[in-house]
Amino acid sequence: MPFDQILIQLINGIVSGMILALVASGLTLIFGIMDVVNFAHGELFMLGAYAGVTILAATGNFWVALLAACVIIALLGAALQVVALRPLVGRDPLTTILATFGISLVLQNYALWQFGPVARKIQEPFTGHFRLFYLEYPWYRILIAVLSAAIIGMLWLFMKYGKYGIWIRATTQDRIMASAMGIPVPLVHTAVFAIGAAMAAASGVLFGPLVGVNHAMGLDVILRAFIVVVVGGMGNLGGSILAAIFISLLEALASIWVSPAQAVIVSFVVLILTLLFRPTGLFVPTPK
Amino acid sequence: MAERWHDEPWARDIWWSGKTTRRRFLGLSAAAGALGATMLVPPPWREAFGQAKPYKIGTMQPLSGAAAAGGKTALVGTQLAVDRINRAGGINGRPVELIIADYESKPDVGRRKAEKLLVEDKIDAHEGGFLSNVCLACMPVFEEHKVVNMIGVCLDTTMTTSKCSRYTFRPFDYAPAQAVAFAPYLIGKMGKKWHIAYADYAWGQSTRDAYADQIKKAGGEVVATTGIPLGTADMTAFLSKITGNFDGLFGIFFGKDGVTIGNQAFDLGLTKKYKWAGDGAIAESTNLPALGNKIEGFVGINRYVPVLDPPLNTSSHKKFFEEAIARLKQIDPSGPLPDRYVQANFEAMNALKVGIQKAGFRGREDTMKLIEALEGLEMKESDDFPQGDKTLRKEDHQAFIREFIFEIKGGKHRIVEVVPKEKTMFPPACTFPKA
Repeated sequence: MPFDQILIQLINGIVSGMILALVASGLTLIFGIMDVVNFAHGELFMLGAYAGVTILAATGNFWVALLAACVIIALLGAALQVVALRPLVGRDPLTTILATFGISLVLQNYALWQFGPVARKIQEPFTGHFRLFYLEYPWYRILIAVLSAAIIGMLWLFMKYGKYGIWIRATTQDRIMASAMGIPVPLVHTAVFAIGAAMAAASGVLFGPLVGVNHAMGLDVILRAFIVVVVGGMGNLGGSILAAIFISLLEALASIWVSPAQAVIVSFVVLILTLLFRPTGLFVPTPK
Repeated sequence: MAERWHDEPWARDIWWSGKTTRRRFLGLSAAAGALGATMLVPPPWREAFGQAKPYKIGTMQPLSGAAAAGGKTALVGTQLAVDRINRAGGINGRPVELIIADYESKPDVGRRKAEKLLVEDKIDAHEGGFLSNVCLACMPVFEEHKVVNMIGVCLDTTMTTSKCSRYTFRPFDYAPAQAVAFAPYLIGKMGKKWHIAYADYAWGQSTRDAYADQIKKAGGEVVATTGIPLGTADMTAFLSKITGNFDGLFGIFFGKDGVTIGNQAFDLGLTKKYKWAGDGAIAESTNLPALGNKIEGFVGINRYVPVLDPPLNTSSHKKFFEEAIARLKQIDPSGPLPDRYVQANFEAMNALKVGIQKAGFRGREDTMKLIEALEGLEMKESDDFPQGDKTLRKEDHQAFIREFIFEIKGGKHRIVEVVPKEKTMFPPACTFPKA
């Protein structure tokens, strides 16, 4: 048993899982509260990274870039929700899927037109390494995992104890009753979309140093995020986080014994099995 | 607050109510008229050529989707060549009309767009293509319609070997020729034992085979290979497996995957532990800004490097270099240097021009004459071919050109060796299907 490889892949799986959990939690938050499958989430992730590049170039400070990118993309998300999604409330869910898909194409081509085809770089805030058996493992990857966990933790605390978090949970449980109790439901929807967009932006900025920033970077991440959301249970925040780590760990461990092309199939196998045997998600009970 | 935005009083005027007023009708009619009028304005080259019938040349590029970044720069090369041809009086006194098709980085869309170019737009010839899987999907379509297909970027080896077509030409290098040129350098100056990491799809696999073969012939050994699926954003789990007793890591990636492996192999210390070499597509000028200092010391091979050092210090190359930079600045504010996609499309269009002139090509009815003119075509270093001399071999329609072995130093390409085209030759392995 290659012990060193197992330990390395466990760390890889957890780190990749936390990055994926951050992307997926924004996606699942939006679905859970608004019943909107946001196909533009990958593009918000990408625009967040571009905003990070631009602000980093202007300020030279990674942390300022991270915060500012979140604010900018949250505002963009709010504007998109008001203009494109709010008019569709109460209509067939297919209309919101088509609308967000259209938004994703527009944003992707906008980025290509605005920033051009050359990939950009986000310089990580520090470049230290530590020895992990035969590898030099970057501290930055550990930092991403910790920050992702912190952001998701803050969201959980906000939802659990914050006044507006309670508004959001009330809206999720019963939109009509929440409205009758004086909660401004359309505003809650806009705020939730903005929070989801900000989380996508945060993951874009954090992930940017590993891959370079380009107009198509959201495409590679979003498919896995959708798998995680389905496996974790649509709209189930905790389930998505667990599913992200579970799938990433499975892929990383599988890559010890099989080729990368076979390892990436693991997530699809898990998706199919989930849909067959636990269609509501692995981490929520199947209704009797 | 109304739950539906357009139910709110302030929104009633801007949300379409289903009623068509006279004012709205007149406004829309005027807008449609203005749009129609702009469409009737002839293209700028029209005036200079009077009533001369243009050559309709189609070009298919991925201008949206995952490969759009490469497709955009590839199109710059084609447009640069067409504008230059039209400025110089066209071909045989006829202008070139470029018909651009975006295949959205998808093979099925590529086939459909190829059909449209051939059936509806009635193109005389095609120049372009970027993704190898799309080129492979479209080659039979050009063959069926008996139209010449001059490839601009696609590098999959089989296109001029086991899947070759009488109608398809590749006027630039391919992996076996690059491997013949690069293997002696890899073994002689870098190390004998290699691990190959490659993009796991048509081009990556055929390039891996070519290098494995030539490294062995040059006295070296490929100890292992790692294929990584195209578009993998986080390669760390797969790169973490790369370990053992070998001298160098050889990468075969392009586009954003080139950026990903460059960054993540460095982050894991692989490029420090092993010699780091690979296909020049990893370190294209359009990738360098995203790689920063993590690509420092990379040794690659490419048909084109954006430098004005010898032997690329010719007036022809300077002219191409400056025009390409100006053109690229229009699509990217950062002002990138030209890459091999710009160069190859520029020269592919010029190869088509030279063939058309030589054959006295009038239209599709002369396709066979054009094919015969292109077979064995010798292209001399000139304003048409600033990269250098090239030979388009008759037996497989594969060109042989000089190769540049380079190193990245200070964030820039530095030529370390030039391999003449005669030293890149690889035997043909093509039998054209009978017409």
